[in-house]
Amino acid sequence: MDEILQLIAIIAVVAGTAFSTLGVLGFIRLPDVYTRLHATGKVGVFGVVLLLAATVAWTPLGWSKGLVLIIFLLLAGPVTSHALSSAAYRIGIPFATAVRDDLAESSEGGSPEEVAA
Amino acid sequence: MLATILNATLYTALAIHVVLIGVALWRIWRGENIVDRLISADLVTVLTLAVLAVIALITRNSIYIDVALGLAALGFIGTIALAKYMADEQMF
Amino acid sequence: MQTWMILLLWLMYLGLTANLQLSNLVVGLLIAVTLTAFLHPDPLRVDVRQAPGAAWSLARYVVVVAKDVIQGGIQVARLVLDPKLPVKPGVIAIPSGSESEWATALSAHAITLSPGAMVIEIGEHGMMYTHTLDTTHADESIAEMQRLRRDLLEKILPEE
Repeated sequence: MDEILQLIAIIAVVAGTAFSTLGVLGFIRLPDVYTRLHATGKVGVFGVVLLLAATVAWTPLGWSKGLVLIIFLLLAGPVTSHALSSAAYRIGIPFATAVRDDLAESSEGGSPEEVAA
Repeated sequence: MLATILNATLYTALAIHVVLIGVALWRIWRGENIVDRLISADLVTVLTLAVLAVIALITRNSIYIDVALGLAALGFIGTIALAKYMADEQMF
Repeated sequence: MQTWMILLLWLMYLGLTANLQLSNLVVGLLIAVTLTAFLHPDPLRVDVRQAPGAAWSLARYVVVVAKDVIQGGIQVARLVLDPKLPVKPGVIAIPSGSESEWATALSAHAITLSPGAMVIEIGEHGMMYTHTLDTTHADESIAEMQRLRRDLLEKILPEE
């Protein structure tokens, strides 16, 4: 039984670390604020959740706290991403490259520059 | 045998996460604009959560998950409040 | 039905304390009842006769969202590792297809949770302005996922 739990923990830690690294790599490489938020959201949703899955498997007495924290992170991560992207759009940070922008054409948006003015 | 591999994996993961925190701190210092710096600050909080999870695995002590719970709640509220402050130029 | 909130708070307290002694159970129940009495949560309409169907829809919803999240994660990982970085970002408008605020909010949560798509603004009639990393095919695939999610959410939280 111990061996199975240890194996689960090893796999989860390796996968979580890989996803964290990928997220930070994307954070450095991607061109503007909005695309970077996709990459950092991945650190929260995959990296930390997989590491916590390892703690659920292998830390004694820690499994229920780990589960509560996993559920909290899955609920709070998107809220943070949305708040940051919405704030960036309101204060008028431009897109580096945008193929199309339906929000600017709608009545709600206006282009980022107009909203800032 | 498996315990040795697990230990080696955990210490490697700890080292990698500390390096990643360093990268995020560098991005706070050299950010392009204010939202970029705020994203880096949020990233530092999330990576610290990861470090706490790894330390809980190394010591096999669930007290570190309690610390992570507190940090997660505080970091979430702080990021939301600062984002709202930037968008509306007022807190409440 | 405030019973659900009491149950949820009680489970969360027990999870955080990791202690199943009788005294701890009683203390947790007292805290949950007191908090619910002070907070006056919105009454969630849960019909007991429809509860099994709603639970089945909830389970299917979790599986659908988890599959979407894992697919998005792999797709974004491939994008980031590509040396040419072939991103075509853009903002597309996706109608949530439901007038209910619960359904719109939960759909926006599910879209933002999956990497590669992120709701920036919610307009009138539940129109979700979504920033995506790959706009070429995202239009139809996200709209199709949205129809599936909308049907499941309306079974979980039925309108009167």
